[in-house]
Amino acid sequence: MGELDLKNLRIDYGARMIIRDFNLAVRNGEMMSLLGPSGAGKTTILKAIAGLLAPAAGDILIDGQSVRDVPPEKRDAVMVFQKPLLFPFMNVAQNIGFGLRMQGQPGREARRHIGAILALTQLEGLEHRKVHELSGGQQQRVALARALVLKPSVLLLDEPLSNLDANLRQRMRELIQTIQSETRMTMLFVTHDQSEALMISHRVALLLEGRLRQVGAPRELFYQPADPEVARFFGGRNFFQGHVRDGKLHSDLGVFPVGPQNGNGHVRTATIRPEDIRIAPRATGQSRGLRGRVVKTRFEGSSTRVVVACGANEVMVLTPEDAFRPGQEVEITVPPEKIRLFPGD
Amino acid sequence: MTSPLTTGADARTRKGPGGVALSLALLPALAVVLILFGGGFALGIVQALGYLPGAGLGEWSLAHFARVLSDPDFLHSFLLTLYIAGASTVIAAGISIPAALGLASLSKRSRVIHFIFQMPLTVPHLVIAIAVMFMLAPAGLLSRAATGAGWIASPADFPLLINDAWGIGIILTYVWKEIPFITLMLLAVLRHTGRDLLDVGRTLKADAWQRFRYITLPIIFPALGAASLIVFAYTFGAFEVPFLLGQTYPMTLPVWAYKHYSDIDLMARPEGIATGIVIALVVMAAVILAQVLTKAARKRGLIA
Amino acid sequence: MKKSSRRFFGSIVGATVGLPFLSLVLWSFAERWFYPALWPQAWGLRAWRYITSTAGFQVMTAIGHSVVVAAVTAAIAVVIAVPAGRALGQYDFKGKDLVSVLLTLPIIVPPLCVAMGLHLWFIRLGLAETYAGVIGVHLTFCLPYAIFVLWGVFANYNPDFEDQARSLGASRAVVMARVMLPMILPGISVAALFAFLLSWSQYLSTLIIGGGRVTTLPVLLFALMGSGDRPVAAAVSLVFVAPAFIALLFSARHLGNRSLAGVR
Repeated sequence: MGELDLKNLRIDYGARMIIRDFNLAVRNGEMMSLLGPSGAGKTTILKAIAGLLAPAAGDILIDGQSVRDVPPEKRDAVMVFQKPLLFPFMNVAQNIGFGLRMQGQPGREARRHIGAILALTQLEGLEHRKVHELSGGQQQRVALARALVLKPSVLLLDEPLSNLDANLRQRMRELIQTIQSETRMTMLFVTHDQSEALMISHRVALLLEGRLRQVGAPRELFYQPADPEVARFFGGRNFFQGHVRDGKLHSDLGVFPVGPQNGNGHVRTATIRPEDIRIAPRATGQSRGLRGRVVKTRFEGSSTRVVVACGANEVMVLTPEDAFRPGQEVEITVPPEKIRLFPGD
Repeated sequence: MTSPLTTGADARTRKGPGGVALSLALLPALAVVLILFGGGFALGIVQALGYLPGAGLGEWSLAHFARVLSDPDFLHSFLLTLYIAGASTVIAAGISIPAALGLASLSKRSRVIHFIFQMPLTVPHLVIAIAVMFMLAPAGLLSRAATGAGWIASPADFPLLINDAWGIGIILTYVWKEIPFITLMLLAVLRHTGRDLLDVGRTLKADAWQRFRYITLPIIFPALGAASLIVFAYTFGAFEVPFLLGQTYPMTLPVWAYKHYSDIDLMARPEGIATGIVIALVVMAAVILAQVLTKAARKRGLIA
Repeated sequence: MKKSSRRFFGSIVGATVGLPFLSLVLWSFAERWFYPALWPQAWGLRAWRYITSTAGFQVMTAIGHSVVVAAVTAAIAVVIAVPAGRALGQYDFKGKDLVSVLLTLPIIVPPLCVAMGLHLWFIRLGLAETYAGVIGVHLTFCLPYAIFVLWGVFANYNPDFEDQARSLGASRAVVMARVMLPMILPGISVAALFAFLLSWSQYLSTLIIGGGRVTTLPVLLFALMGSGDRPVAAAVSLVFVAPAFIALLFSARHLGNRSLAGVR
């Protein structure tokens, strides 16, 4: 089992409230990302779950049992830190076996478990190495193995990949995913990297300014952001307002069908992702697009960012073609089905 | 053998800027050490071996060493010195571990405690020996307090704490003086690597005692060993404190050495020097033994 | 640590450290203090007046001797230790272990042994009973300590700052004076403090090499202990620790909390 429930958690740092009214439920066997910009309080929450930090209010439940009064060493939640923090005076196998030894597990059994974890984390053959002889990726794998071997109900991962270079990061991410799907261990993975969170997890919880904004499947957060700030966090641009009338949104960028359930007569905010807008040089013939002029372009390799002035609005477009220059007259098309209309207040 | 004062690797070392520049940088230091220290030590050995042309002693022989080592008082002195140095080191190290943990858990705002704790570092051994004498002498402060409390009637009833057979005054002086030295060496290590690893240990199921035994102790062990060795070496070879607070018989080896050295009979001088050499050899042997034991223990996995 | 246990810890530390000083202060102001009185029966400034009076000019002379010897020893030690510490802390080279052993030996071998060996040689060279001779023997152990301090300092010193300064147009000499020196100044202060205090409290090697001529404070204090005048011995003892306290205050103000780790 491995259910984690955080109820009305409040965490203070001195007189400052870092986390308030935090509610989150991680299901058994789930890989959940806790995503947020650095300084949002993600690590603080992990430390509270691990017991290294006492919440000012609220409760933490593991498998339905409150662990508020359980010291960290007795909690069934193990934390992997941002830095590997391997014990420098122990070799790889001793580091991995540390937790088992603390629980008084007999040597033979412990060796069997360590052997299995070494295979799982691709560390075979390194068990007698000193930790300073390991590469950064190997060190982080040992840190991971050291936690996994305890088979905790909940594994807490605090940006364990952030100190690795891009290539290694990708491989480690895949390794963690494989391990998770093989062991079905409940994991709470903290990261500030949105693509990492979207790639790795079953569900993502987005934390902005100490508050949980949205929890859901990766595609849900990406395509149906709860509010403009969530959208902005996932690279959303092009926020615009319009008037809803007869199931349609009337805006400067056009009239879009939004379904009958959206209240008539209200001003609402909507967004369209830059990559969803189509852009073309202005044709001489008739067209159904919006007319505009290129303000500036930014070449990003596989795509180019183009800012287009359409009347009073500036629209950002992401296109695979590197064919536009400032001053050029263009035509953009906004596909109505890609419009995201935010719920009203 | 690595130096006792720089345990662990240097943070960032590079390949040299060329042998010449390095040699030039090290030359003055090595010259002083080799000529003044090495020369002094070598001349000491030469003189202890009986080669003293100015005094009419031109023969090389082990006679002085033989006479020192066969003197029945030598064994007494040696054991007394070993006992005093060993007891002082063990007691000071034993108190330093909890003291360092206590200081480490204090917030940095407790500067007053830190400051007071450092005071003994800067106090010369001689001064604290005098203060201890004023306190522990038969008519000293402690004895007066005991009389005032009605526990004893006269100085004669007061237990002998200085110039005594057990070297209590000497050991107390050393312990007082060396605790901050060892503690601050431990504290530097604890501050550097302590907190995070203890947090890791906690989430990996180590209770308070296990965190101390399996994390803190291995972290501080190299510094503790190095600091203890330095303390042992110092207390084994120091003169002032046992001279002031020790008994007249048996003397500690350094006092014995100086007594011979300063004897009006110039023929006793080589014996004094020979005793000094013996002290140096014992200290060096202790350091080497500690290194060998550490290595063996590490090999057998007893320590990290 | 909780407030109550902090108090407890603090008061144990305070009492243990303070008691010896209290006894020295009491004795130095005691005019009459017979057993079994816990406090002196008569207070007075006799001992302190003795130190500052002409009769006690030997005390002032001794302070002078001690200051000169310790200050010169510390200055020489630091000047030699800076390049050596830099070489050891910044570079890896063949024979580094050997150098380390060579520097460790003077720290563990008692000075009395070296002083006895040097004595005869210094007599021949005319260095016995001179400042130079005493400073020479003090250097044998003060210098290695200073080197170890600066070794540690340079091991944590980032030379990239120097390269940065060079690329911004500073000459090699300017880099040393304006970049390296300010960065290692706390380390230099500690090394100098170390060497000064070691030399300052040195007794036997001073006595052997200096004979009766270079009477530093500890040499005089031993003589006073022999004479049995306790109040004067107590007062001189307090004078003897004064520079140490000034040094400690200085370090607490300017160098932070743990900078004295390693001082003996």
